[in-house]
Amino acid sequence: MEFKRFLKGLQGIVGEENVVHHSDDLLVFEYDGSVDRGLPEAVVFPADTQEVSQVIALAHEAGVPVVGRGSGTGLSGGAIAPPGGIQVAFTRMNRILEVDTENRLALVEPGVINLDLDTHARKSGLRYAPDPSSQKACSLGGNIAENAGGPHCLAYGTTTNHVLGLEVVLEDGKVVNLGSLARETVGYDLRGVFTGSEGTFGLATKIAVRLLPVPEAVRTFLGIFPDVETACTAVSAVIEHGIVPAALEMIDALTIQAVQKVNDAGYPDDAGAVLLIELEGLQDEVDEIGEEVEAALWETGATQVRTAEAAEEREQLWVGRKGALGALGSIAPNYYLVDGVVPRTQLAQVLGQVTEVGRKYNIPIANVFHAGDGNLHPCLLFDERQPGALEKIVEAGAEVMRICVDAGGTLTGEHGVGLEKKEQMPLVFSEDDMAAMVLVRDAFAPDNSLNPGKIFPDGEKHTPHAHPASPGMTI
Amino acid sequence: MESSLGDRLEQLLGGSAVLPVDGYEVDGLTPQAVVRPADRLQVSEVLRWASVERVSVLPRGGGTRTGLGNVPRTADVVLDLGRLDRLLDYQPADMTATVEAGVTLASLQEQLASGREFVPLEAALPSRSTVGGILSVGTGGPLSHAYGLPREWLIGIGVLSPSGVATKAGGKVVKNVTGYDLNKLYTGSLGTLGVIVEASFKLLPIDPHSGTLLASFPSIAASLSAGRKLLHSQAAPMGFHSISTGVSRRLQDSVQAASQDLGLGDEETALSFAFFSGRAKATRRRMEEAAALLLAEGANAVQRIENSAAKGMLRWITDAPSEISPSSALVIKVSVQSKSAARTSAECGDILISGEKPDQMADPGFGSIRLFWPRLPDEQTGSADNEQPVLDAVQQTRQIANRYGGSAVVEYCPLPVKRQIDVWGDAPDSLAVMRNIKDRFDPSGILNPGRFLGGI
Repeated sequence: MEFKRFLKGLQGIVGEENVVHHSDDLLVFEYDGSVDRGLPEAVVFPADTQEVSQVIALAHEAGVPVVGRGSGTGLSGGAIAPPGGIQVAFTRMNRILEVDTENRLALVEPGVINLDLDTHARKSGLRYAPDPSSQKACSLGGNIAENAGGPHCLAYGTTTNHVLGLEVVLEDGKVVNLGSLARETVGYDLRGVFTGSEGTFGLATKIAVRLLPVPEAVRTFLGIFPDVETACTAVSAVIEHGIVPAALEMIDALTIQAVQKVNDAGYPDDAGAVLLIELEGLQDEVDEIGEEVEAALWETGATQVRTAEAAEEREQLWVGRKGALGALGSIAPNYYLVDGVVPRTQLAQVLGQVTEVGRKYNIPIANVFHAGDGNLHPCLLFDERQPGALEKIVEAGAEVMRICVDAGGTLTGEHGVGLEKKEQMPLVFSEDDMAAMVLVRDAFAPDNSLNPGKIFPDGEKHTPHAHPASPGMTI
Repeated sequence: MESSLGDRLEQLLGGSAVLPVDGYEVDGLTPQAVVRPADRLQVSEVLRWASVERVSVLPRGGGTRTGLGNVPRTADVVLDLGRLDRLLDYQPADMTATVEAGVTLASLQEQLASGREFVPLEAALPSRSTVGGILSVGTGGPLSHAYGLPREWLIGIGVLSPSGVATKAGGKVVKNVTGYDLNKLYTGSLGTLGVIVEASFKLLPIDPHSGTLLASFPSIAASLSAGRKLLHSQAAPMGFHSISTGVSRRLQDSVQAASQDLGLGDEETALSFAFFSGRAKATRRRMEEAAALLLAEGANAVQRIENSAAKGMLRWITDAPSEISPSSALVIKVSVQSKSAARTSAECGDILISGEKPDQMADPGFGSIRLFWPRLPDEQTGSADNEQPVLDAVQQTRQIANRYGGSAVVEYCPLPVKRQIDVWGDAPDSLAVMRNIKDRFDPSGILNPGRFLGGI
């Protein structure tokens, strides 16, 4: 099919005003939050499932690859258009269809923003637990595609633990339902394997998620430590008490300096690490366990411990952590973010090795991470205007991933493989492992026309582009 | 004459790996051979051989749920994974553990208890139930409301494909989006896609205190309504279960002793269990508030039980379905949205087989109701006269489940009935994708043929 005719077909389905195809207009859709770029041929903004289905069926017939796009905050190139492909953007499908308080679930369209759902649910005393740090901007559809995480996933699990049912459009335009509104369904757990499939199995058009009750009490602890190693022993001490906090986050010295420059979070200048711990539950639980946590922080060498229970004061303790990535812009114009995971007990040792990588490549590396589940976020800082800087950064990033894998960990905890890490997949998985995964993709999308070229290595060198460290960016 | 499958397996693995077939029947089919490999290499050899010879293979753990699933199309070889029973890696500080699939749940929990941790898997008969079996079935237990299903806790898996090729997915870390989440696909796939040989889990610390509230209500409807209120309060338990009189009648002595002051005995009386655990102080507060709430909501009496006796109560509820099933004419597990549990229970409660109502175990938090129609003493299984009422009850239960957007799985029924139905119920619109997956993973169709949904 000639592209012009294809375009006309798209316009016929969603209306002329809902297809972007002029090259100037397409530029904003060229990138997401990652270091990759790719210009789509067109971006389509469907209004409902039927339009999504027709668009995808038409693209399939025309042999045009399709990728879904939520808010474009992804960090692994998941929403980057494949060559010659179009994007289906869910901006218009952003309704919260139902919050069922009796059943504690919500039915939403994929374009709904994560935080909007949570805010809405809280009016009924409920909450949506997975809270990626980009939750002010990221969409539920994107969260499903990437199986997004967040600080509070330590206690509540990631997106996949909260998805009940999905309505999805397959590559031929067929609409099927996976899972259900009931907690248990029959047959293969297709909504489970769909979640985190990075847009390669189908496009979700309706999403049912579980909501949890808002706890009676929440208490946040902030501990200042002389260095990351000491803070890591505090993490172990807390866990040894049989405590699984709702969140357990850490930032290192370089990040602290950046935060203090941009937004005084009240950290001492010589702080080597800041540990944030959040407890949730009945007041009695939070009181009893809180005492143990506080004692553990002091015993392991905290130089300062602050606590807060009121929402505003807790927010104040989180300011430094939440604004960390944006603050790094004050140190270097660009950063490259790694998402490796290691067993919790390997944290201190792996962070030491990461520092070594920084020395070897002469790159400043700032660490902001989910200490409770061993999910590191080394930020490799650089200036893209320096020739060869980006290539060096990508090489160093790959070395950090290798260190994580060697320590018994893996490439990515919550950002996805996408374009960014696909060539590293063989570090973790054998040909046979990946072949089994591809079988599932073939079962959903035999023609591999949905988000092709992602996740699995194909030897094609992608050209990374630098991402400016902007105040709005979060992890 | 061709040598038997048993002989050929003996040649392949040596005599000690091949067992007598007695006791390994599956839905009335006696396998031609039973093989119990010593390690995963031998499992792989069996599969490679079976896939070439197109011999059907029925993987087996502890054999506690062998009756689940449709009648297999063929049952050539039962593959007993009981010897793959090692704990491969346990790091208490990481709160993760990696085990071989044949390890029993009881043995695993015992080993994890040394690090004051446990894996939140629940299964009847834990000293026989294996990790691989629990994952293959994929269902939870009385605390599913709090812990969800096994899918929530599995972080990595090692599987042998039907042709014996070793593959893995996930890993040993608690947060992981590297590659597709095949953990979810294999969990609950009833051994139709591959043979699980290894699994890694995320663990939890053992709560220092646990308690159970036992309450009697004038009816199961009253107890479910009170349970819903409790589950939506700050004093919410980890799980809440209501059981009807018929189930109570089969109570163990320990439960009977504990419940003697509760005024049981009336035909309509229902017993409910609320399970709590956590720190001592908070748990006591929850139980106090919960007891008050249950009384205010119409409980006749409430009994408080703590620590080991409370755990015994949980054990009993977990085991109860498998103990009651054999004396039943039909057992169906209905899964619906939690808000529909009470209505489902009420409507299904009126479905009769030979004039008898079903006994019930209902979980209004998770949204599951197990229905047990008692077996009549003079029943002649197999005669057409007796099949029809059972088939009708299956049909009626499904209609109710469908009306509430749920499903109804026949867990136990007479063989002649089983041969006529799909125990999993009506196929969802995604069945074509499921078939695609099965065809690609197991092109010769040798693994558990016909046992899964839609004859997969």
